[in-house]
This record gives sequence, C-alpha cells and structure tokens, in this order.
Amino acid sequence: MPSQLALPHLLTPYVVSPPKSSLTVVSSVLGATGNWLVLRFLYAALGNSPVSHPGYGDPEFETRKKRRVVLVSFLRGWEFWRSEAKRLGLDLARLTEKRQFAFVDGLSELFSAPSASSQPAPKPQHYPGAGIAPRATLPIRSQPVPTLLRQPLPASSGSDGASPQTVREPGPTKRLHFAGSGLAALDTIEKEITMVIDELKTSGPGEDEDEPEILLVIDQPDFLLAATGLSKGIGATEMGEWVMGLQQAVSATIAMISADSPLIHNGSTFAHQAATPLDTEHAAFAVGLAHRAEMIMQLRNLETGAARDVSGVLRVSKGGAWGQREGAAENWEEKEVLYFVQRDGSVNVFGRGE
Amino acid sequence: MSFRKRNIGVSSGVDRTPVPNSSTQPQTATQSAPSTPGVRPSPDDGRPTTSTGSPSLDNLLAGHGGMPIGKLLLLEENGTTDFAGALLRYYAAEGVVQDQKVHVIGMPEQWGRSLPGLIGPAESADEKSDRRKSERMKIAWRYERLGEFGAGVAGARAPAGGTGDQVSSTDSSQPTQPAFCHAFDLTKRLTHPSIGNMSYIPIRPSNEPLLVSIQKKLEAAIASSPPNTVHRIVIPSFLNPTLYPPEVSQPENVLPFLHSLRALMSRPASRITAMITLPLSLFPRSSGLVRWMEILSDGVIELCPFPHSADALSTSGAATSHEEPPQGMLKTHRLPVLHERGGGSDQNIGQDWAFTLSRRKFEIKPFSLPPAEGDQEAQDNARSDKMPKKADLEF
Repeated sequence: MPSQLALPHLLTPYVVSPPKSSLTVVSSVLGATGNWLVLRFLYAALGNSPVSHPGYGDPEFETRKKRRVVLVSFLRGWEFWRSEAKRLGLDLARLTEKRQFAFVDGLSELFSAPSASSQPAPKPQHYPGAGIAPRATLPIRSQPVPTLLRQPLPASSGSDGASPQTVREPGPTKRLHFAGSGLAALDTIEKEITMVIDELKTSGPGEDEDEPEILLVIDQPDFLLAATGLSKGIGATEMGEWVMGLQQAVSATIAMISADSPLIHNGSTFAHQAATPLDTEHAAFAVGLAHRAEMIMQLRNLETGAARDVSGVLRVSKGGAWGQREGAAENWEEKEVLYFVQRDGSVNVFGRGE
Repeated sequence: MSFRKRNIGVSSGVDRTPVPNSSTQPQTATQSAPSTPGVRPSPDDGRPTTSTGSPSLDNLLAGHGGMPIGKLLLLEENGTTDFAGALLRYYAAEGVVQDQKVHVIGMPEQWGRSLPGLIGPAESADEKSDRRKSERMKIAWRYERLGEFGAGVAGARAPAGGTGDQVSSTDSSQPTQPAFCHAFDLTKRLTHPSIGNMSYIPIRPSNEPLLVSIQKKLEAAIASSPPNTVHRIVIPSFLNPTLYPPEVSQPENVLPFLHSLRALMSRPASRITAMITLPLSLFPRSSGLVRWMEILSDGVIELCPFPHSADALSTSGAATSHEEPPQGMLKTHRLPVLHERGGGSDQNIGQDWAFTLSRRKFEIKPFSLPPAEGDQEAQDNARSDKMPKKADLEF
C-alpha cells in the first residue's frame, strides 16, 4: 500500500504552509470527523522529514522554514492529540518542550470553576501534569490538590529517559475557562490564547531569526457558540470577530467546524422545520467563516452509503477570500477526492475510481 | 534524528500491528491495565474496555469487543418503546456484578431494584463451558466461512479476545478467569451484594442550574471513591420532560453539561464510561441541538423499532421461520474511537442492523429483508448471495 507516507501525495499541496494571514476552514460532519486532517496540518508544519512540495500559498517560499503551531481544542483533550500525533511520528510533548508547539486546552475546565492553582500560572512549567489526580472543582477540595500535583511524577512519564528532569508530560499549557457572559467572556478567552501565542513567538530556541511564523489551529470554535448562545450575548457576529481577532495575532489560521445538515440548513428560510437560534447562529457563523476563508476543505460521508474501504469524501474548494491577496500565485486546484483512514492511523487519499 | 526513529518503533510496535496479530497485543497491554474484574484490553489497540452487559452490543463497537474506558455512548430511540432502556439496564447490571460504581442520574432507587437478574452462576458456568467448547469450533468454522466478517464478533465472548487457540490457552492457565460479560434475565430481579453500592443523583430543584448541580454531585461522588474504581454513569431518558424541567433542554444548559461530562471522563486518572438514552420523538435528530449532543458523544446508536403492525410482515419472512423476528432496526451513526480517528475501516460499518430483545438477551444481527413470498427467482438469488445471512451468524 502506498499509504505509508504520513502525508499522502494528493493531500500535500493543500496542507503544506497555508499562505500568510489566511484562514482555512475544515468542515466535518458527524460520521466524517476531521481530526486526521488536523493532524496532517500539524505534521506538515512540525514534522522533520523534508516536505518536497511547495506550499499552496507561496510556491517559491522555502517550505523548510520551521513553523510553530498553537492548537486550541474545545472537544478533545491533550491525551487524544498526543497519542494520535505519536502514530504519525510527531512527539507533541517534546515539541512543547522545544517551544515549537503549544496546546490550549478548551476541554478540561471550560465550564467548571477554575481551581485555585490554575489561575495565576502563565508559564507552562507550572503545570507539570495534565491532572494526575482527578482535580476536583469544588472549592473545598481545591486546596490539597496542588501539592499533590507539584510532586515529581512517577518514572513512567519520562518517556525517553534522556532528560528525566525536563521530559515530564507537559500536559496542556493553558486551560481555558468560560466565565461571565457576552463579549467579556470571549475577550478573556482570546486574551488567554494570544498570551500563549506571544509566548511561543518570543521564546525562540536561541536563534536570532526574524519572528517565527505561528500557525493557529482551532478545533471546533463553533462549540463555544452552540454552548453559550444568544442568552449569554454571544452570536455569530461576536464569534466571527473573535476568530478575526485571533487571526491578527498569527500568520495563518485553520478552523475546524461542524457542517452537519441540521446545523447549516435549518437556518435557511426554506427549511421545513422552525429553526432554533442555535441553528441560525451556527449557520451564520459557518457561512461567514467560509466567506472569509481562502480555502475550504469539506469532509462528508459517502453519499452512496458506507463502504469498507472509504471513510469519506474530501472536497477542497475556494473560499470567499480566494484570490484577494496581492501577488498570490495559487498552485492548487479545486478537487474532490476520497479518503480512507486505516486502523493504524495512516491515510489513503485517492480519486474516484482509482 | 534519534528520537524520531525511536518513536516510529514504538508506534509500529503497539499501534500499527493489524488485528490478526492480536495474540501478542493483549499481553503487552495487560501490563498497563492491571487486572480489574470486568476490564480487559481491546483486541484492536489494547486500550482498556469494559462490557456493556450485552454481548452483541459489545461486538458492534468497532472491534474493541467492549466499551472503551472514557467513552460516552448515546442511545437514541424513536417512538414510545423502551428498548434503549433495556440496554441501559443490562449496562447498569453488568456494572453492579463487576463491582463497578454505578451512578444513576435522574431516577429513583426503584430503578436500581428493577435491574435484570443475573442468570445463576452454576447454570451459567455449565452453559459457558459447554458453549465454549462448541464455540471454538464455531469460531474456526466461521473464520473459514466468512473470512474477515466474523472478526469483530469473535472477540467478544471469548474472555481474552482473539482467536480460538487463545481461548484454550487461557482456559488451561487461568481456570478462574472472571467473566467479562454476564447474561441477565429481564424477568428476574438482580440481587447482588454490591447493588446497595449504586449511587443515585436525583433531580431536585436547587438554587443553581439543575445540570450544574448534577455535574457537581457527580464529580464529588467520583472524587470521593477510591482511585482505581471503575465508574459507570447511567442517564436514562435524558431531557425527558416528565423527569427534567423544560429549561434544561436549552442548548446553553445541555451542551455545557455534556462538555463537562466529557472533560470529566477524559481525565487521565479517571476510569469512567457513560451511557445516555435520549427519546428521539421529543428531540428529533434533525434539530441542531441533538446534532451537537451527538457530536459531543463518542458513540451514537439509533434504535428504530418497527411499528407493531409490522410484526406480521416480518414473521412471514422465509429466512426467519426458526428464529425470532427482528423488532426494529439499529443504526450506528458513530462508534467510539473509530470515528474520532476518522472512521471507515470497520467491517460493521455500513451494515443494516436489526435487533431482537428477548427475555435473556438483546441481540443485534445483520438485517436482511426476506425475499417476497412466491418470488422463486429472488429466493434463489438470495441463497447464492455473497453476503452472510442471519443463519450464518446465528448459533
């Protein structure tokens, strides 16, 4: 099988070095999730095997230049991303140590009251574990927990044994909290993420090159919209601006959103059933992002029903912002391909009938 | 780059090995998961799994032969029947029998008293040794006959998961291997010493939002139990207006609750599984809220019971004369672990499933419409069809 490459050939032009100040939208549905594609983006940016193909944004730009990646995940924890990236040969824990990667945890404590220890700790070093003991969020229990966490971890976490002092499981560098309502709450989250971005920008590994390029990957920002809604003063407009604000801090952004038909089509006036505010706001947010995106990668199920050797369909199309950049020499074309995620985590991408 | 090579080695050793080599995999994984009754490594990738209490549901879960720890299964049901509730009772009863901590949300203690009774130990032991002998032959026969198709099915009943000779080796070395999954009888009541150990979180009005207080009670209950306990969270007919006040079904209440539940379950130290049933007639799948609930779940299974009038129709099928007619269709929209990775490569995907609930088991099998009566040509075609039919899987 030719699938042993971590980056399938057909996929390479689309995931390697997205152009500067661009937004790429990856949309997924219930039965065709996009985590594997996000991992490919991470691999293209962080993997240390040479990627021979020019990027889709800058063809003559040297693609070997190291990018740094900030991954903000609202639906999946550090453990999932770490273990899945490991299957690709990407050691996120080590990359975090080397300050090339930062994980922002939007899952663990988003809606629970922050425990006392997690508030004044901007540096990731203060977070030795990803919650070794079950962290209680009740105020009475939050006092004894930090002392537990500060203790050196058992030897099992020193995965390589090379540097037992530093190779502790770094865990999520930052945990997001949603508190309050409306723009203030969004601003707090935005500030926390930009803080991580700035930290990654400034702390280079000693080289005095110009400012490193940061790729921001946001896993399902639409959840934030769905879980808060208009009653908390957050709508599609606010979320759109929130993404825009984050875009300004980084060189390229990838947003993964859900595009299931109830979430997109219920909002339209031709829908059969009355749309709830959740539906309309989600549709507005998703469509708005698509208009601002340079490239849209849609994942969906096979229309003809499930197949044993096809996981889904990937359609790459131009977004609303395509071609608006000056001097853009686009060297990718719109395409629809099939993909198959194998049990070992490798991916086959192939055209129909191939 | 030395560290990179080592990484590849690690991942290819543990993860990349395809299923057929499962004889080595469970052994490596057993070390990481200390032997807790009711928890065994998945034959697919070695992650710890626990049984749902009904073998055929275990088989359905993407080759893991059980429910992976840390995953949340959403069972949706159309209509007014309560087949999903029966699955939920099996799940809770299995937890009680395995000495796991069962947390029931929104139901009084009577719910726990009506769990299906364990089929007597002596009786089941006899049955089991008999069954195991014949099973070994059947597994071999089925592999030969069906090729890959049976792979997912085979892992579940054999305790160590895997091939036939593995079963025999565990038989000789560990004669007292605790059962992974038990058989229950819906007409009896479960009596087990640890049934009093179940915890109930009632729906009671308080001054904070209902689901927030439920979440806090749940976290407190889990935090106060000994560290290695395996927990099961059971939420019967979630959002049902006869149980839950109407404001609970607002997205800004439900979705944060499910998100926090997900966060709780994904903590590295916790060993929790959860099963939720949702009445689809009240909350249709075409609404954005339900879709978000599905996205937040690791597995989504929809039950579509046949209307009662269809009984006559389905009994008339020629192929099913010797077995019980299916009572409904079962759709898998999402399976734990598999879909999180991207989905696709499971043999069970794309099958039409039918379920039959009888006194002793909830059975899920491939659904095939019998050829219309009198249509001789179609009946012949069906016989020579490549697809394995119910008769091949049923024994």
